[in-house]
Amino acid sequence: MDPDTAIGGRSAQFPSTHLSLLEATEAGLSSDAMNQIVALYWKPVYRFIRLKFRKSNEDAKDLTQGFFASALQRDFFPRFDPAKASFRTYLRMAVERYAANQHAADNREKRGGSVEFETVDDHDLPTESPEVVFEREWRRQLFSHALDDLRSHCRETGKQVHFGIFEDYDLADRDRLPYSDLAVKYGIPETSVTNYLAWARRTLKAFITERLRGTTSGAKELHQELRRLWK
Amino acid sequence: MEVSDTVIDHLRRVVALPDLSGTRYQLECEIGRGGLGVVYVARDRDLDRRVALKILEGPVEGEAQLIARLEHPAIVPVYETGILADARPFYAMKLVTGARLDHYVESDHTIRECLRIIRRVGEAVAYAHSKGVIHRDLKPQNVMVGEFGEVYVMDWGVETVAGTPGFRAPESTLDQQSDIYSLGALLQFLVPPSSSAAIAAIAAKASYPDPHQRYVSVSAFLEDIDRFEKGLAVEAWSEPIWHRLQRFASHNAVLLWLLAAYTVVKFFLFFWHRF
Repeated sequence: MDPDTAIGGRSAQFPSTHLSLLEATEAGLSSDAMNQIVALYWKPVYRFIRLKFRKSNEDAKDLTQGFFASALQRDFFPRFDPAKASFRTYLRMAVERYAANQHAADNREKRGGSVEFETVDDHDLPTESPEVVFEREWRRQLFSHALDDLRSHCRETGKQVHFGIFEDYDLADRDRLPYSDLAVKYGIPETSVTNYLAWARRTLKAFITERLRGTTSGAKELHQELRRLWK
Repeated sequence: MEVSDTVIDHLRRVVALPDLSGTRYQLECEIGRGGLGVVYVARDRDLDRRVALKILEGPVEGEAQLIARLEHPAIVPVYETGILADARPFYAMKLVTGARLDHYVESDHTIRECLRIIRRVGEAVAYAHSKGVIHRDLKPQNVMVGEFGEVYVMDWGVETVAGTPGFRAPESTLDQQSDIYSLGALLQFLVPPSSSAAIAAIAAKASYPDPHQRYVSVSAFLEDIDRFEKGLAVEAWSEPIWHRLQRFASHNAVLLWLLAAYTVVKFFLFFWHRF
């Protein structure tokens, strides 16, 4: 399988919003709010399309781009009804419909002989379902963007030591330094390590909540998403 | 910022953990979860020791003060109470290492050992009752047996606790009699009724649906267990005559053997002199 795209993986500085998705939609979805949704969902949608429809990197990118363009043009957001499903489920099902239609159209054209259609090898595919991969990718994007928010916030408020400790301890893939070693490394008391880490975790949680608020229909869905995220 | 799934899993876990900044504790791991809160193992940095830290989900009036008032060898001592940065109340307790009673009984134990445990639990409950405190939720999951055999009664009840089916008394308002009911259920759990009719009767009397038919106090319940252990008749059971004789025989075995030996000797001497 050819490597995944890097598009959509890193966020630009998407301004955070206090508006829920419905409030933002009612106010006429601003580009900031839309950016936030695309930032969070671009990669999950792309991965979902790649796996579900076995598309090549370029085809999946085109379909993802096409989906978001079509979503903006076709009143996709105002038609979202939170009573029926969460926004994430609504979006995934819409992606599935959109990509299935495009896939069918491509196949019709392919049978006509005009398009070279590229599929991926079965043995390269992950064993998890596209739906599971979509969820995991969404979670990964949510944390990635919230971590970017946290890093920027620390830089702007002179809390680089806070972020340094957080990065050394919580973002380490393995071999976490004990608190006492971190205290020595940063020249602060051990209690400050606990406090700095607690602050960073608390602030990260706030940024995650903020990111989620912009992509959920309101307080109820936000609460459900948060419970699912932390359980 | 790209992060691996391992880091995300770690973040999901630690971000959900309570914020202990401003306290002298450092979290180690979660050890229990109940309706009222979560219990963690934490390290007390000042005293360099591990403690059990209970963090309550909401304001539960006076739970820690309630327990702190009870100073008894079978009640886990509270070291400190406080409020976390996120406004949740917490209290630090002695960390008891050992097995929860429901796990402890999975290995074989004698009736004597089971009665020792129920006696320790009963003594703690009787003491609490003397201080005007009732447990409200006595069950195997709330009793710990330490590595040296010490017994601790945990999770002393607060008003919001409703008890656990199987161990909760049927009455709607829980009081000291309800704790006696739970002690009976606990005894039944520890010593199956088939093991001893007298113990089964004690358990049944303690856990009678009608509170007036139960023992009048925990002390009365413990005294009946005492009588059983001393080989005496228990209050809860009017035993059949054969059982009374059997109990008399086993209780006075030495005397009966001496009597038998005396009779045999007398019998022998009688015939010896005759012939």
